[in-house]
Amino acid sequence: MIELTNVSKIYGNTVKAVDNLNLVIPDGEIFGFLGPNGAGKTTTIKLIAGILNANSGTIRINGLDIEKDALSAKMQLGYVPDTPNVFLRLKGIEYLNFMADMYEVSTEDRRERIESLAKRFSMDDVLNDRIQSYSHGMRQKIIIMGVLVHNPPVWILDEPMTGLDPRSSFLLKEMMREHADSGNTVFFSTHVLDVAEKLCDRVAIINKGQLLFCGSMEEMQDHFKKNTSLENMFLELTESEE
Amino acid sequence: MRNKTVLLTRTLIKNGEGLGIRGSSTFAKVMIILVFAIMVPMLMFGVSSLVAALLKILKQIGQEGVVLSWGIAVNSAIVFVFGIFYIISTFYFSSDIENLLPLPLKPRQIIGAKFLVVTFYEYLTTAVFFLPVWITYGVVMRSGFLYYLYGLIVYLLMPVTPLAIASVIIMIIMRFTNLSRYKDTIKVVGGTIGIFIGVGINLVIQNIAGMMSQDELMELLQKGNNSLVVLTSGIFPTARWGAEAMIYSGKLPGLLSLLIYAGFSLLIYAALLWLGQMIYLGGVVGLSETGSKRNHRKGLELEKKAVRGSVIRTYTLTELRLLFRTPIYFLNCVLINFLWPVFLVLPMLFQPEQAKTEMMQQLSIALASPEAAGWIIVISFAAASFLGGSNGTTSTSISREGQELYVKKYLPVSYRQQLTAKVLSGFVLGLAAVIMMVLFAVLGLKLSPWLGLLILATAWLPVLLTSLTGIIIDLYNPKLDWDNEQKAVKQNMNVLYNMAAGAIPAVLTIAAKAALPGLSSLIATTILLTAVYGLLCLFLFKLLFTLGVKRFCRLEG
Repeated sequence: MIELTNVSKIYGNTVKAVDNLNLVIPDGEIFGFLGPNGAGKTTTIKLIAGILNANSGTIRINGLDIEKDALSAKMQLGYVPDTPNVFLRLKGIEYLNFMADMYEVSTEDRRERIESLAKRFSMDDVLNDRIQSYSHGMRQKIIIMGVLVHNPPVWILDEPMTGLDPRSSFLLKEMMREHADSGNTVFFSTHVLDVAEKLCDRVAIINKGQLLFCGSMEEMQDHFKKNTSLENMFLELTESEE
Repeated sequence: MRNKTVLLTRTLIKNGEGLGIRGSSTFAKVMIILVFAIMVPMLMFGVSSLVAALLKILKQIGQEGVVLSWGIAVNSAIVFVFGIFYIISTFYFSSDIENLLPLPLKPRQIIGAKFLVVTFYEYLTTAVFFLPVWITYGVVMRSGFLYYLYGLIVYLLMPVTPLAIASVIIMIIMRFTNLSRYKDTIKVVGGTIGIFIGVGINLVIQNIAGMMSQDELMELLQKGNNSLVVLTSGIFPTARWGAEAMIYSGKLPGLLSLLIYAGFSLLIYAALLWLGQMIYLGGVVGLSETGSKRNHRKGLELEKKAVRGSVIRTYTLTELRLLFRTPIYFLNCVLINFLWPVFLVLPMLFQPEQAKTEMMQQLSIALASPEAAGWIIVISFAAASFLGGSNGTTSTSISREGQELYVKKYLPVSYRQQLTAKVLSGFVLGLAAVIMMVLFAVLGLKLSPWLGLLILATAWLPVLLTSLTGIIIDLYNPKLDWDNEQKAVKQNMNVLYNMAAGAIPAVLTIAAKAALPGLSSLIATTILLTAVYGLLCLFLFKLLFTLGVKRFCRLEG
């Protein structure tokens, strides 16, 4: 479960990237976070992951405060950043082992998970190569594998489908569904509204740091009093804000 | 249409970092500006006073021009040695190359622009030493307008020849090493060979100059009329013409020397462009590719490779892996530790045989005397402090994270542990320098092995001390906003600041020993040094774990 209460983030004393945001994402839910470029999506995600400190408000992951109880809270989550270009000079296997050590995963568990993830993502042939030699999609896959190696209850993914081939993208969506269905939380941002519409239990739309809407597809259609696509509603919502 | 080389040069300079204080804390900004506002003028004033004093003596024997020729020669030699590092980084390791290659630019335009950028940065360094020489000589000798004009031209052309020679060497090496699929390794090996060849050539040139006999030297000295200026061409070949242009600025020989100096600089620049047009692309295209094995048969070998380790150990090993595998980090943070002893040994190898044996014998005798033991420990502490400070590992450890700093923020590892691992990685590398130093002293200078062991057992403290100062400096003044790795270490002033932080205890230790003649026993000296350095380390650890951790927490990439 993720809870954001009155969270604000200000850059350089002037720019309000996130403005008094309140969100509760319960267990068992896939939650889509939508908004135009520069709306505050990545900032919110970085606040949840403990990368940025909020100016005010509290963020709890499974009841643990991300600032006050940082290490235990971070143990609960797996974060996939929007750019997969990290640790390029490590080999895939070295990166996975590094992440497993950081998250204190036992030798047996890591072997089992690495093996099964490598098979699922068709990465078993390349784990002994440096990440630098990987394509964009393969880098994205190794990052996702690094996050899943400690089997975190809460997944936070920033634009996870970017660069993935159709098969891997399908696989990831399937894994997100499985994870939520077994009582965990999946929070992800995306620009692909089709994906959000089909995959998410609820979505939130944010613009200029403020929450414009939060609810299920049905609630959104009720809100607009018409049976139209998420794309149309998104455009209408964000346009009226311009 | 505007000249593309000039256009590219301007863009590259604008894209540079200046003093590199963007993103620093206000305190760090104020400190840096203060250091520059005080240190640079002080240094220039120091050089100026030295030059004025030298001129007074040299004028009496008619050799005042030596000041100018030495000024130009030493500056050129410095530009050459540092230029080798700089040229490898900007020509081959800089990531902007990948953005430049697809543009409709000729190789010589890229080489030309990159060369001009390096030259531009060299003006800043050479200014500190050359401007005081130039101006002081002019004032003392009451030189006219032409002297200052020629001086300006000489100043502007000074970095061209040394940098062009460095570039030619590097380009040839990189052209013929850019063949393998192990690009990173080759880059490192190529770069290392380049540095050794550069230092070697410099030493050979100096050696040729030093071959003149005592009598010949005296004869030259007594001739007066600036006859010694000729000698400086031994340090750097073109220095003589530059100096003569300025000395005889009012006369025809001055103009001729200037024309030769300028002509040579332009010629070698043209030669560089010509060579660059032919071989640069061959050396640079595909340099960032990485080999891939795509091994199907071997399997994952998880039994060997996926084994649990402690957080600190894994974190430190990963830091070291990245330092060894990233060519520019390797050259600046790793190799430098092993280079110092080589810098010490090489000049000795080039000495005439007789002098070499005599010197070694004298040194060995001196080292074996009982009074020397206290001094040896003091000097090894001072040297370890200087060596530890000059390896840029911890002083760039936060900067090297760059835009990826966020990764370290979401890991469930306390900042205290992360900082400890970063200190450890720098400490391990600094220790290598101390081990090299002791090996050199024991094997080369016949230092007693017991004393060698004592140094190893204690002189790790200064390395730890400078590893701590390095990371604290980098925490308060990190350079996170970079787009290629070389900016994180090469154009990072923190390396220089930590070099100063290492030099201060080094100087103080030697000064304290000199001021306390009563402290001669080996045991007393060792205990005192260990206690002082140990306490300083404890204090800095405390500082790192309190203020340092808070600072790391506040850093947002």
